[in-house]
Amino acid sequence: MKPRLILAVFLVTLGLIIAAVPQNKTRQYKLTAIELLDEVNTRTQFITPEVVADMLVKKDPTLQLIDVRSQDEFEKFSLSGAINIPISNLLSESNADILDQEVKMNIFYSNGTLTANEAWMITRQLGYKNNYVLEGGLNYWFETILNPQKPASTSPDEEFAKYDFRKSAGQALGGGTISIQSKEATPSSAKPAIKTAPKKKKAAGGC
Amino acid sequence: MGPLAPNELISENTNLFLAFIIGIGFGFVLEQSGFSSSRKLAGVFYGYDTVVLKVFFTAAITAMLGLLFFSLFGWVDLNLIYVNPTYLYSAIVGGIIMGAGFIIGGYCPGTSFCGASIGKLDAFVFIGGLFIGVMIFGAGFSIWDDLYLAKFLGSPKISESLGLSDGLFGLLLILAALAMFWVAEWAEKKFPREEY
Repeated sequence: MKPRLILAVFLVTLGLIIAAVPQNKTRQYKLTAIELLDEVNTRTQFITPEVVADMLVKKDPTLQLIDVRSQDEFEKFSLSGAINIPISNLLSESNADILDQEVKMNIFYSNGTLTANEAWMITRQLGYKNNYVLEGGLNYWFETILNPQKPASTSPDEEFAKYDFRKSAGQALGGGTISIQSKEATPSSAKPAIKTAPKKKKAAGGC
Repeated sequence: MGPLAPNELISENTNLFLAFIIGIGFGFVLEQSGFSSSRKLAGVFYGYDTVVLKVFFTAAITAMLGLLFFSLFGWVDLNLIYVNPTYLYSAIVGGIIMGAGFIIGGYCPGTSFCGASIGKLDAFVFIGGLFIGVMIFGAGFSIWDDLYLAKFLGSPKISESLGLSDGLFGLLLILAALAMFWVAEWAEKKFPREEY
């Protein structure tokens, strides 16, 4: 037989085998209490406000902010693009599609981190991936992004870089300098330059 | 690289070093197989030389079979494998630009550096064009920002959207590949070109 014919037969045979066998659907996600404790200890679920602000500014389509507070609170104030899933409705079937998916990065937030953390724990225990918690909640968001405090003049450079980023991101996301502008009474038309935080690139392939 | 870098078993620098070694090996094989000739790649579109098509399709089905069998044996968790996310519109536009570049330039980014390393002038011109393109893309990013990020689909699998099992889709792809090889070799006979 010609070698290419042998090769073709070999490939088709392998293909037939793989088509005939049942798919391996073992998902190693059921967490034991120890594993969950380990994740809690390493704080893997927390995403810093800077990262979230950066994604918001860049309009990263993978970001899905989820407000787990009550509907009233959500209507009073919410982060841009956020959807409201009150923690009491967390397990309703209509939300399963949003919480159990592999596409987006869900970030829970509440006023502090307590409710958001509860939501994360429940979904994590169900084996859902891609759910995270906004570090410090909305309170910390106000403190860092919408109203950042200037570091002391003796602070290291990194502190200033962080401050600069927070300030520009805060401006872009509609907070921060409103009070200062009203004092100066100068209508600012110029858009603030947005400094974006460096993001780690994933390896990409190609020929 | 593989499971080593994400799990921090090797440092970033070791990772780069290994990439360097693998890159040299890849480039060497590419050059030895004649891919540093722009006629090889352009030949696919004119039908007189379809080696590129056969090589890449073979690589694809080999890797696919390997992953499917590894998953079957429980050696690899397919959920953990990084798949480039799909942004539909930019993939289409990028595909058209890249394909046009293949035909016009006769190189793909990898083979152009291969050709440049043995001193091919057309490869140098191609690399020049590549950098100009990168600069236009970078400088004008705010213009095509919306298109670039439009229609984000995550990492969908064709088998899932067709409602087939991965294995069955694999078999169909193998059959499609074999059929394509047959057509390719027929085209090589039909549109011959003197040796270069």
